[in-house]
Amino acid sequence: MTSISRLIAEPIIRACVLFLFVALVFAVSAVFAGVVVDATTMFSVLQNFAMIGLVALGLGLTVLIGEFDLSVAGMFILGGCVAVIVGSNGPVFGLAVAVLIGIAGGIIQALLMIRLGLNSVAITLGGLLTFTGIAHVLTESKSVLFNDLSVALAMNVPVLGVFSLRSLITIACFLAGGVLITYTRIGRDIVATGSNRHAARVAGVSTSHMLVGVFAVSGALAALSGALLSFGLSAASPTGLSNVMIPAIAAVILGGGSLSGGVGHPIGIAAGVLVLAIVRSGLTVLGVSPSVHEIVTGALLLVVAILDGPALGERLYQFKSMVTLRVGSI
Amino acid sequence: MSPKYFWVERLMAFRPRLWISTHGALLPLGLALLLLTAMFTPGFLSAPNLLSLVNTASVIGCVAVAMMLITISGNVLSFALGVTTGCSAMMFAWLTGYESGLLATVGALVFSTVVTGFQGLLIGLFRANPIIVSIAALGLMTGAAELISQGSMIYASGSQLQGLNDTFWSVPASGWVLLALVLLADFILRFTRFGRNIVMLGSNMTAAKAAGISLWRTTVGVYALAGLFSGIAGILLAARYNAGSLEYGIGYDYSAIAAVLVGGTFIGGGEGTALRTLAGLVVITGAGAILLLHGVSTEYQFLFTGLVLLVAVLVQGR
Repeated sequence: MTSISRLIAEPIIRACVLFLFVALVFAVSAVFAGVVVDATTMFSVLQNFAMIGLVALGLGLTVLIGEFDLSVAGMFILGGCVAVIVGSNGPVFGLAVAVLIGIAGGIIQALLMIRLGLNSVAITLGGLLTFTGIAHVLTESKSVLFNDLSVALAMNVPVLGVFSLRSLITIACFLAGGVLITYTRIGRDIVATGSNRHAARVAGVSTSHMLVGVFAVSGALAALSGALLSFGLSAASPTGLSNVMIPAIAAVILGGGSLSGGVGHPIGIAAGVLVLAIVRSGLTVLGVSPSVHEIVTGALLLVVAILDGPALGERLYQFKSMVTLRVGSI
Repeated sequence: MSPKYFWVERLMAFRPRLWISTHGALLPLGLALLLLTAMFTPGFLSAPNLLSLVNTASVIGCVAVAMMLITISGNVLSFALGVTTGCSAMMFAWLTGYESGLLATVGALVFSTVVTGFQGLLIGLFRANPIIVSIAALGLMTGAAELISQGSMIYASGSQLQGLNDTFWSVPASGWVLLALVLLADFILRFTRFGRNIVMLGSNMTAAKAAGISLWRTTVGVYALAGLFSGIAGILLAARYNAGSLEYGIGYDYSAIAAVLVGGTFIGGGEGTALRTLAGLVVITGAGAILLLHGVSTEYQFLFTGLVLLVAVLVQGR
């Protein structure tokens, strides 16, 4: 039993288990529910994957280093609004400005956090509200439309049948993240910082640089994701904070990240995002109302939050010994 | 140590102790500044403006006191209190259909207490991350409420609680309710064993555990109390608009946590009082109203809340 749970805790194996689960769901739905798993279904799953993927990846990296970046949801919105507003002078320029703002926001938050010795949750809560506030001011609290519809078409046109530009960018970012964490020294330094910051510092890791870097990447990815989505929809709006926050956090923890830090892997996060994307597409196929999506994602997040709880094992042990005690006494 | 050096030591160790801790020293400054600008803002000190200000602030204040309890207990914040407020307003409006003000009140309060207390149970029992549990609860409750109400408003019938819209000694009833909750929260924190357990849990969980405090009982208690206060906020809203809607609670979490932090409650837990939270609330809502009177449009209010919160957090740093 313990060996199985230890295996599942291993990030790569956990990702494999999740991917297997995904394949199983596909097979079962194809055989029993009569849902045809064709290119269209795959395409819709990958579009959902692209929507939450990058935010989850950025958040996951901050979780890996032992922090928690609440501001990704705000940066997602700000990135979308900036890209649409600035993008009227050329979409690539808009994208670049959005990503630069993301990087700057991440660096500022990380520097404040390190200099003042503050908790990342506190600082990024301020960041979340400030970024959303800036988005409100820029858009005057209204939806902004992007007039160049050809960009939206280019974003969503199927490539090789199942991919789109958005999902290809997302997959590329995940692969780059995976390579960074597994094969480079920076990746190992990040994991070391997340596992035990003091020990990492003693071993010569520049933990401050790692923190600043990770928060910059997290901001950049969130802004990029928001910009891509807004271009895909040809519109941006400063509302809807929780729409991306809930699935992103669920994906990170589902994919093996732990809030105690030092555990997790981009490939695992990708698997978590994929599971959520499939659930979302499945619910859409079933034709249920959007509020059911929220309930399902919320319930999933609640379950993963309990599973991530440090005291879960202790409670299960207490429960088991209580049961055996009762049985023994009878 | 010789007596001479003893006095040197005493002098060296002397720090002027303000009536609040150093990071809260910004609060009286903010209040003074607010009062000064208020005097030079035409229309701010008029009776209708003050009345509407008290009405708005009292509902946010109930949520802020609830948020403060959660922050003091070391659970940082909850993203689900605003939606709990909206849901209990809906619950209250729906239950008034049975022609009993008591049933509606009790129903709404039991609902909010149980829902929030359950989050506390998960957090206390499994040590699940409080922020994530609250975000999950936000998703679940928003989805469920939208599904049940089909996104429409629920109108209250009957006028059992019209008394909540009256004014007593020229202060609206909601203002007195808020004052009562503030005093109750401070009484609990200062004079009861439960309150001291909350503070101890927030300042050092390991020590609290070693001292024999039941982690999960205290956490459930804090969350249930916070839920009760949010439920009261919901009832105030439902009585004012004579209806209940999910829209009512939107944004309350952020204003509430801003009031809590401006009031000098330490975000790491273990420190803070309801009276200071009330002062923080006055600063936040008062400044917002002044900005509005000076013709600053509403979208800047979001940015303002965010920046104030950021400053309140930064001041707590070393």
